[in-house]
Amino acid sequence: MSEKTASVTVRRQIVRKDHTKGKMIFFGVLVLLLLLMTIFAEYICPYDPNQQNLDQALQSPGFAHPFGTDRYGRDMLSRVIIGSQTSIFSALVLVAIITVVGTVIGMICGYAGGVIDSVVMRISDICLAFPGLVFALAIAAILNGGVQNAVIALAAISWPKYSRIARSQTLSVKNTEYIAAARLAGSGSFGIVVRHVLPNIVGSILVTAMLDIGTMMMEIAGLSFLGLGAQPPTAEWGSMMSGGRSMLQTYPWVVLTPGLAIFISVVLFNLLGDTIRDYMDPRNSRRG
Amino acid sequence: MEPLLEVRNLTKVFKKGSSGEFTAVNGVNFCLYPNETLGIVGESGSGKSTVAKMIARLLETSGGEIFLQGEDITHAKGKALRDIYRQFQMVFQSPAASFDPRRTLGDGIGESLKNSKTAKKEIKKRVRELLVQCGLPEDYDKRYPHEVSGGECQRAAIARALAIQPEILICDEATSALDVTVQKQIIELLGKLKKERGMSYLFICHDLALVQMFCDRVVVMKDGRIVEEGRPDEVIMHPKNDYTKNLVDAVL
Repeated sequence: MSEKTASVTVRRQIVRKDHTKGKMIFFGVLVLLLLLMTIFAEYICPYDPNQQNLDQALQSPGFAHPFGTDRYGRDMLSRVIIGSQTSIFSALVLVAIITVVGTVIGMICGYAGGVIDSVVMRISDICLAFPGLVFALAIAAILNGGVQNAVIALAAISWPKYSRIARSQTLSVKNTEYIAAARLAGSGSFGIVVRHVLPNIVGSILVTAMLDIGTMMMEIAGLSFLGLGAQPPTAEWGSMMSGGRSMLQTYPWVVLTPGLAIFISVVLFNLLGDTIRDYMDPRNSRRG
Repeated sequence: MEPLLEVRNLTKVFKKGSSGEFTAVNGVNFCLYPNETLGIVGESGSGKSTVAKMIARLLETSGGEIFLQGEDITHAKGKALRDIYRQFQMVFQSPAASFDPRRTLGDGIGESLKNSKTAKKEIKKRVRELLVQCGLPEDYDKRYPHEVSGGECQRAAIARALAIQPEILICDEATSALDVTVQKQIIELLGKLKKERGMSYLFICHDLALVQMFCDRVVVMKDGRIVEEGRPDEVIMHPKNDYTKNLVDAVL
């Protein structure tokens, strides 16, 4: 009897693991399609996204223009596709910067401790004490508009989150017996951090990063919406929404199509992040 | 005879909260001689693991000195410390937790060899030899810690400790997390290695029967102090100290 129960449990575990893997591949493929669309945006666009055509202005979605046109007669579908380059790539670059910078700083603080730790953590406290977007607004305003500066501004306020996670994870890993064993094996601090600390904390950081791609897309879009991110005529989903916001009731597609693009990409990245977290969960024994 | 390892007046004070202090180890003295097994017994919280951690330099001392073959290693750091680790190694209490969950047992066992600039092929060969020596199949080098049992993992931990051929092995409750039959196998393995390699053990344990069977000499610790020292038979059969009596009575 007990043998039967055991075999049933084992099978269920395998099934669940495969399920997670399947979901991860599914969302991974969708995200990959999104990224491919972004990379080959120029070739996919049915029209020149910046070509104004005033006698075609504000046409509702139809056969010629599936997403309609904006007030300058530019094809919305083309603008949404080309806008993904700014929106998605800047979010990816931003997340990459803050993940790497935050993790390195956090690991150094956690492992070294002492004065470095106190000083850096107080700085990150200061960053966390300000409302994020307000701080980013201030920095972006000093640096002037533009996507590049929006990314710098958001990076300057977002790294503490990662350094906090990396630091707390490092602290919990640092006192384990396997770190003590590594030290007894004659490994130096740098080797221990790279070989033992990083691989054991990178999972939760990557998951946070995946979930943050969506958030960062929204923040960049938010800054653009407020006029501090992408500058016209650059197509960017946030600034496109901003440009059409007075027409929400009369010509909703001008706002809704870039909004839908943000929604879909954010949801996709979040779902991928979720399934990756499930997959990375150490209780799902990997590498069977 | 010149002691291999000598501990003089070793003290550890932990800060507790803002003002309180807790003395975990209080003026401990003992020596470990070549080819000897010294047992440290005592109840939980008596400071025996703290002593082990201080000797292994995983914990700063608050006072006292540690000598390894006459050399003061109390404040050794960096390169000097890494050289010292070639002379003694440690086996930890929980086998699975002492291996990095994201690395194979082979990686763990070979780490000290890798750090001493041994060639990759040579490491692989040595790791397999060590596994066999410790009674494990040689293809266990590709396994992850969660894929082997506690006893197998502890064998791998011993293999790791032996990799750079140390003279002293500190066993911090190395058998406590294992069941009795596996415990016996591990003790037999340690005994065999002692005979083959002439190693010395610092054997920290709370199991008096095991200590009586395995150790040449034993010190009894209570509240951070050594209360009794002597040959295991004498200490256990004719305890002089009240605490040792209690400890022995609790078992029998």
